[in-house]
Amino acid sequence: MSAKILNNWPVLTSREEFEFLTDLVLRHSTGEHACVTLHDHHSGTVRFANNQVIQHVDTRKMRFLVTIGFGKKHGTASTTNLTAGAVRETVQRAESLARVTPEDPEFLPPPGRQHYESWPTFRPETLEANVLGRLQLARDAIEQCQAEQVQGAGILTSTMTTVGVAANSGLFAYEPRTEARFSLTAQINDASGWTAAVHRSIDKLDVVNRSLLAIGNCKRGKGSREISAGRYTVVLQPPAVVGLLNGMLGALDVKSYETQTSPFSGKLHQPIIDTRFSLHNRPDHPDMLSCGFTREGLPVNRVTWIENGLLRQLAYDRYTAYQKGIALIPMLESPCLEGEVRDQCTLEQLIEGTERGILVTNFWYIRAVNRMDLTLTGMTRDGTFLIENGKVTAPLRNFRFHDSPIRAFQTIKGYTEPQEATSAESGKMLVPALRIPDFYFSSVSTF
Amino acid sequence: MTPLKGPCWDELAELALNHVRHSGAEYGDIRIQHIDTQIISGEDQRIANIQNIQDLGFGVRVLYDGAWGFAASSIFSIEEIPRVAELAVQIAKGSASINQTRIQLTAEPIYQGTVKTPWKLNPFDVPLEDKTALLLSVMGLLHQHPGIVRSQASMWACRDRKLFVSMDGAHLSFDLMAVQGRFEATALLNGRFASRGFNTPHLRTGYELLARANFLQEVSRVAAQAREKANAPSVHPGAYDLVLDPEHLALTIHESCGHPSELDRALGYEANYAGTSFLTPENLGHFRYGSSQVNLIADNTEPETLAATGFDDDGVPCQRWEIVREGLFVGYCTNREVATTIGDIRSRGSNRAESWASIPMVRIANIGLAPGEATLDQLLSEVKRGIYIEGHGSYSIDQRRYNFQFGGDAFWLIENGKRTHMLRDVIYHGITPEFWHRCDGVADANHRGRFGFITCGKGQPGQAGWMTHPASHARFRTIQVIQGQAMP
Repeated sequence: MSAKILNNWPVLTSREEFEFLTDLVLRHSTGEHACVTLHDHHSGTVRFANNQVIQHVDTRKMRFLVTIGFGKKHGTASTTNLTAGAVRETVQRAESLARVTPEDPEFLPPPGRQHYESWPTFRPETLEANVLGRLQLARDAIEQCQAEQVQGAGILTSTMTTVGVAANSGLFAYEPRTEARFSLTAQINDASGWTAAVHRSIDKLDVVNRSLLAIGNCKRGKGSREISAGRYTVVLQPPAVVGLLNGMLGALDVKSYETQTSPFSGKLHQPIIDTRFSLHNRPDHPDMLSCGFTREGLPVNRVTWIENGLLRQLAYDRYTAYQKGIALIPMLESPCLEGEVRDQCTLEQLIEGTERGILVTNFWYIRAVNRMDLTLTGMTRDGTFLIENGKVTAPLRNFRFHDSPIRAFQTIKGYTEPQEATSAESGKMLVPALRIPDFYFSSVSTF
Repeated sequence: MTPLKGPCWDELAELALNHVRHSGAEYGDIRIQHIDTQIISGEDQRIANIQNIQDLGFGVRVLYDGAWGFAASSIFSIEEIPRVAELAVQIAKGSASINQTRIQLTAEPIYQGTVKTPWKLNPFDVPLEDKTALLLSVMGLLHQHPGIVRSQASMWACRDRKLFVSMDGAHLSFDLMAVQGRFEATALLNGRFASRGFNTPHLRTGYELLARANFLQEVSRVAAQAREKANAPSVHPGAYDLVLDPEHLALTIHESCGHPSELDRALGYEANYAGTSFLTPENLGHFRYGSSQVNLIADNTEPETLAATGFDDDGVPCQRWEIVREGLFVGYCTNREVATTIGDIRSRGSNRAESWASIPMVRIANIGLAPGEATLDQLLSEVKRGIYIEGHGSYSIDQRRYNFQFGGDAFWLIENGKRTHMLRDVIYHGITPEFWHRCDGVADANHRGRFGFITCGKGQPGQAGWMTHPASHARFRTIQVIQGQAMP
């Protein structure tokens, strides 16, 4: 996007400066192929715990990376140093690697000139949020916690980045990106409540209301009780769904697919989840962390990955895409999982429709335990509640789950419309809350 | 901007700290760092990535009115240095305006000196052709074995040159080297696939570690075990005695002892991300963490280990101390900020930052399991029905470090004191102190390995920490094992 970058020190690398840097690299390079990538980053984070600021950091880091190719031989060098001579020295380092490395049969020259859509990547209000702005928002959250006599721990981050990719093939991409992030864990003894938001606009973090939500969940979590592990109907709030879906997306790569080491091998254009559901890449959505291009300078577009339950796309590296004649490689930077509108309901209705089950706010420490069937494990965290006869009746101790998102997403019994969600272990997505039967909890924790 | 020419780290430090000193701050320090990293990685018989990463910058930390401020930049110029120093001061003042309690640092003598970790062969001087040829040979040999469908092989080297200068007069120079190498084979047989890996430890030494590892000699064993694992029967769930190898134990120690013993976690600093700890301060000196066989020692002084950097990022010397003594929880990892909260008059020297761009925080020390007196054969011989586990697999633990679940890289059924055939899908789980209470044997120092991590995630913004967890094989009785696959 061509947003005007406000003159807020430190000024990040402009488009014109990146053009100059690119020209410098290309002039110094003797490589057959030369590609330069810029990542100029200014970020600040206020971190608090026990209602006190424990860290407040502000970092400016400019990194540029040069890849040089001679035929099928290539090497990459990067630096954060932009003192005199550093650009030439970095080009020389990349060239010296490229000259002695063995040929890589899968190396491709940088792509040529591309067409990029103008997605919403930059919001000036985030850029303007300086040290004092971040501190004020953190203070807002801390004051809510103090007023409600809970212990608050969290972060408030604002980031501005300029990103560029250019090559002697004619490739040129540049865009500014902003990001603001807020999360809060409210605690009283063994109980905790959590919230998190991430957006291009700092004005969309809604710090006070989110803080009240986390505090409310924390208070409802007091006096948790233990019920035995086993199979339960679960109502998964969107951050928990993000955790499961994230575990599934990594298994869509084409190389695993073709070597039969993916659980989806042989299932292209076959149903892999509930046929009411589709998964799209939505860089056009104003609430997503969209970007116009990838690290390789490839365009990011709206793509359907799963259509009415059928797997429609695989994740390609450039070489495999080239081999298969795929001109536009599908990206999945902004995942949106949505079910057919006619069956959508509210979270309250999902709970009301549950005779006995467990409401899960979030999962934590999710790891794959079996790549064959994509079994994952992880813990519930920051709000786990018993549902009885359509009502939330009691806070519960945390469970360890042991189940596969493929199985879970094939047995969805109810869902809401997609909502913005993120978790500590994955990026931002648009996903619904889900009701899933027979979800397997293998053990119970002690709190 | 006016670039600073030539090596001028001392002048840069003085410029920044003069600014901090004149602000009235009670403490300030600066770290200037130049980190070179080389990554060579191959997959499926090709060198897919060769990267030479240079990371330079400086970070200024200020304590003003009992609150921290930190600012950092990769731009070395005479305008940027005072800007960053002033920003750190202003940030600290802002934090102080909110906080109701004031940080007081523990007292520490002022040190000046130079630290250089030992190496014989500089990995950056070893010809790239030699390294790529070795990795290609490894992958080529792996693929000669029937059923091996995918391979990976990589080498990593890092040299970290750092200057730490504090307002108090500390002046410490560092030159730290580290290396690691690994490869992995994936077998596909009868519609089932399995991977098996070989890893050297990450150690602060030179290329001699990789040369000694003799990758080519390990290829046949790794390929054969990948094939056997793909064909192996799935474990029957139930209670088993476990014998764990040093590489596997490094992760178990890291997750179930290392993180809980970070005092900042126990105080709630990580509540919003990595979590807290069941080892709360009132437990210190009282809590029975494990059996009397369990002695967990923090030792940041052992040469070549990852946290043995001479001094930490508070300028405190590396130390050796006890975390668990004969099963009793007796010590934390601390820094100058949090040590006072448990009545310590001195930091344990465990304050480390990922780089110049990060503020240091309490990090797990080199916590290791002290050797016992048994041999591995003796540990195995007293197991009627058990599982021997090597390497790392899936791992997950709750945010207080109680409920854990670990897999591994390779598993063998033990029957009547003997390792028999391989198993697959082995996952064991338990509650941390219950698990360590079931430890009834540790092998002697001849079996000791020194595996560790360079990707330990903590903090917001996230930082990667480095530490080694030495251990000899250990035996745990009657541990619950489940199948690592979806329940039917």
